[in-house]
Amino acid sequence: MSQTSATEASQLVEYLTEIECVAEDILTSRREIIDLDRQRNKTREAIRALQQVKEDEKTWMCAGRMFLKMDKEKAVTILNKDYDELDKEIGLARANLRPKVNKLRDLEKKDELKGFDLCPLTPEERKSVENLL
Amino acid sequence: MAAQTAEKVQEIREVTRIERIGAHSHIRGLGLDDALEARQVSQGMVGQLKARKAAGVILEIIKDGKIASRGILIAGQPGTGKTAIAMGMAQALGTDTPFTSIAGSEIFSLEMSKTEALTQAFRKSIGVRIKEETEIIEGEIVEVQIDRPATGTGAKVGKLTLKTTEMETIYQLGQKMIESLTKEKAQAGDIVTIDKATGKITKLGRSFTRARDYDAMGAQTKFVQCPEGELQKRKEVVHTVTLHEIDVINSRTQGFLALFSGDTGEIKSEVREQINAKVAEWREEGKAEIVPGVLFIDEVHMLDIECFSFLNRALESDMAPILIMATNRGITRIRGTHYTSPHGIPLDLLDRLVIISTVPYDEKEIKQILKIRCEEEDVEMSDDALTVLTRIGMETSLRYAIQLITAANLVCRKRKGTEVDVDDIKRVYSLFLDESRSTQFLKEYQQEFMFNEMNEEMETS
Repeated sequence: MSQTSATEASQLVEYLTEIECVAEDILTSRREIIDLDRQRNKTREAIRALQQVKEDEKTWMCAGRMFLKMDKEKAVTILNKDYDELDKEIGLARANLRPKVNKLRDLEKKDELKGFDLCPLTPEERKSVENLL
Repeated sequence: MAAQTAEKVQEIREVTRIERIGAHSHIRGLGLDDALEARQVSQGMVGQLKARKAAGVILEIIKDGKIASRGILIAGQPGTGKTAIAMGMAQALGTDTPFTSIAGSEIFSLEMSKTEALTQAFRKSIGVRIKEETEIIEGEIVEVQIDRPATGTGAKVGKLTLKTTEMETIYQLGQKMIESLTKEKAQAGDIVTIDKATGKITKLGRSFTRARDYDAMGAQTKFVQCPEGELQKRKEVVHTVTLHEIDVINSRTQGFLALFSGDTGEIKSEVREQINAKVAEWREEGKAEIVPGVLFIDEVHMLDIECFSFLNRALESDMAPILIMATNRGITRIRGTHYTSPHGIPLDLLDRLVIISTVPYDEKEIKQILKIRCEEEDVEMSDDALTVLTRIGMETSLRYAIQLITAANLVCRKRKGTEVDVDDIKRVYSLFLDESRSTQFLKEYQQEFMFNEMNEEMETS
């Protein structure tokens, strides 16, 4: 009797650990998206600030722990590239989040979220059914 | 004076409190456990264990989306809970699956043909699941700074500082954004969302951190928490719309208002074909899912032979909903023909259906149902009265007994009693005739009624 309850307990612990692992994973991804978005906004601010500068001279830029002095145009190109890269990474992180959430729901014995693996309608297509939404 | 107004206020509240109670308002579901076994009394359902279990099995198949082009017939004597089972199925399916309920006689109208009415009912029961995705910027306004040119004319420029609990950033504003910000009267401390694609600004409310007692503010000011997480969010919303709704919106002559007026008229078949093609295309591209719903036709024996042949054909379409029908007829004439058939349904359609039959309730079940109805209608009833009412229900019909509940309650209230007593039941029993007593009365006094000779003629002919 005590043996069965012991195995039951260990099974329960195993199950809970699994849920916690998946949930932790989701939280990490969320954190990552937030950090990436913060970086994206800072990059956008930097691009804007550089565009506001009227004179065409060299500017200081901080890369990692180093300050570099470089052409304004070159700096903007680098920042734009960074921005696109960040955009892509956020998109990727969001796409990865969905199967993780579904896995957690599966472990928690909840129904799968319906329709979230659908492709979104384009804005033109949305117009044709807009009044229903 | 003050007392008078207080009385008036109470009067108004009294009026708004009254709600009408439908005959099946007590049904909350099918009352099954996880193993699909029917509980004797649960979710407003009593007895009919076999029928409920069968309905539960079908429900599971519907939820899995496994069956299409299938029909179910619920057959049984009057007052055996056919409509209740259908209502229970509708409740158990939830809001995501479309459920349409019509009565067989509803399709006969002068405004549209029978087949049009049936087609509309069919298309109301097929859902299309689509997803909408928008990029929004959501945050609390920390500061709005607008620079006006000294000359008074020319482009304004400005800065908008937004924050969430995690981050804060500055946006440069163009002329258009400044205009919409001023139009929305957005100021520091407001929580706003900005649609990235259209630039539309929506005010959600004031931040809690800005809630002060001494702020002079309108009563409708809403306080919300400062948003969490990233500033630039992606919002995904999944909608389920029915094919009929898409039909109505896209049939140009009416426009979308027709959806609310209820009078949609006939919809051109070209419109339907176009929409079918579009939905099929969306499905191919992974943009839409079809959700086959449930169409419930009560009193299905009222349909005529043309409708039955239409149903036969419509059930074979690949986007057909699950068809549930209910009838209380035995072997009877098919409407529109001289032939008789079981349930008044042609044999070829009957062949495509699975049949669930309901059986008359026994005494214990009737007592239980009456008890549930008493609770639903807020009527206190003594045990003796309930026993008497149960006997009445056994001897006459369940519907008659249920109708006596409210009437007895009124009689009880008139004598200022708190609990319905045997005497109240007796009184309403003598006041209102049931069907068999009324028939007996008619037979006894037939001579004194008008046109009674015509009846005799008809009987003899």
